[in-house]
Amino acid sequence: MSKGVLLFCFDTEHTQYHKILERCVKLVKKNICNDITVVTNLETYIKLKPLGFINYKFIDPELGNTKLGKEWNNVDRHWAYDLSPYDVTLVMDIDYFPFTDNLRQFLDTGYDFLISKEAYDLTGRHSFDHRRWSMIPMVWATVFVFKKGKKAKRIFDMVKYVKQNYRYFNEMYRIYSKNFRNDYAFAVALQQANGFLNYDTLPIRLATLPTDCRILEFTDRGVAWQYNDEISHTQDQDVHILNKEVANV
Amino acid sequence: MDINELKKQSDLSYDRAIAKRNALEKANSRLVVVYNEHLFRADPETICLVSTLKELHTSFCVLDTNNNPVEINDPKDFLKVLVARNQESLNAYQQVYKTFTRRDK
Repeated sequence: MSKGVLLFCFDTEHTQYHKILERCVKLVKKNICNDITVVTNLETYIKLKPLGFINYKFIDPELGNTKLGKEWNNVDRHWAYDLSPYDVTLVMDIDYFPFTDNLRQFLDTGYDFLISKEAYDLTGRHSFDHRRWSMIPMVWATVFVFKKGKKAKRIFDMVKYVKQNYRYFNEMYRIYSKNFRNDYAFAVALQQANGFLNYDTLPIRLATLPTDCRILEFTDRGVAWQYNDEISHTQDQDVHILNKEVANV
Repeated sequence: MDINELKKQSDLSYDRAIAKRNALEKANSRLVVVYNEHLFRADPETICLVSTLKELHTSFCVLDTNNNPVEINDPKDFLKVLVARNQESLNAYQQVYKTFTRRDK
């Protein structure tokens, strides 16, 4: 049974995501596995420095989505099932940096689909309590694992359906943010596909640095950041960095 | 002690509290183990349960983190995996904790 990691990366006018990808791939190779497939476009690919033996899949990203008024090419995640060449796939955001091998073991589970429901704010402000921003508990599509089969296919088909009718579901679940978010698309799809009941989740909280944290240092083992006048660091802990300036550190 | 010194101590305490909280979170995330294709937390509750059941049965069922039942046929091996992960995680936490106590002295 083949196992691997699937990453999506598209540069935008404002953010050089390919630089973030370069960092992420290095850590994935070190801590998770060597079987990596990057979904990208030619424009981004030609800027990448050589990353060793990894697979590329080229697609034209669907445009039109924005975040804080800036271009945000994130709406293609529902293609993960079709684009993944692996039987078991770990899909990660490229701004989730695996400084440990904690995620590797999830490729060995027998589950059809696992996703994380919780994030942990490393600045201690509990800023990811998204429950109050919608009528549905949000999931974090930052990290999820699926095994190809009928159940996973059904979930991804449901995500596609939710995406097609996102405005309707956005209103129905009274989701505060009006732009398209994979987190909510997956949350809605999982709830619908599982008969409005619970579904299996990853028992981890995604350690996250909010956008207002400035990254001061980035090494192979961890990051140091500044929030207001406080400087902190962590090492040997996976971190989701929301400030895209990490590309330039 | 002047107010500036108090402010400095307060800032240091805040830094230490956040660092300790993050170190504990790191330890907790390391407690998750995959065994027999299922997910478990190598926490005291799971270890105690497995240890107790091992004394009475050669195979038994436990619930994974998603409340799915899992049959354990090699309790000794399972307990070994759980204890190893628990201690690995807590030892790492202890190392970080020691740096806080050193700073206090």
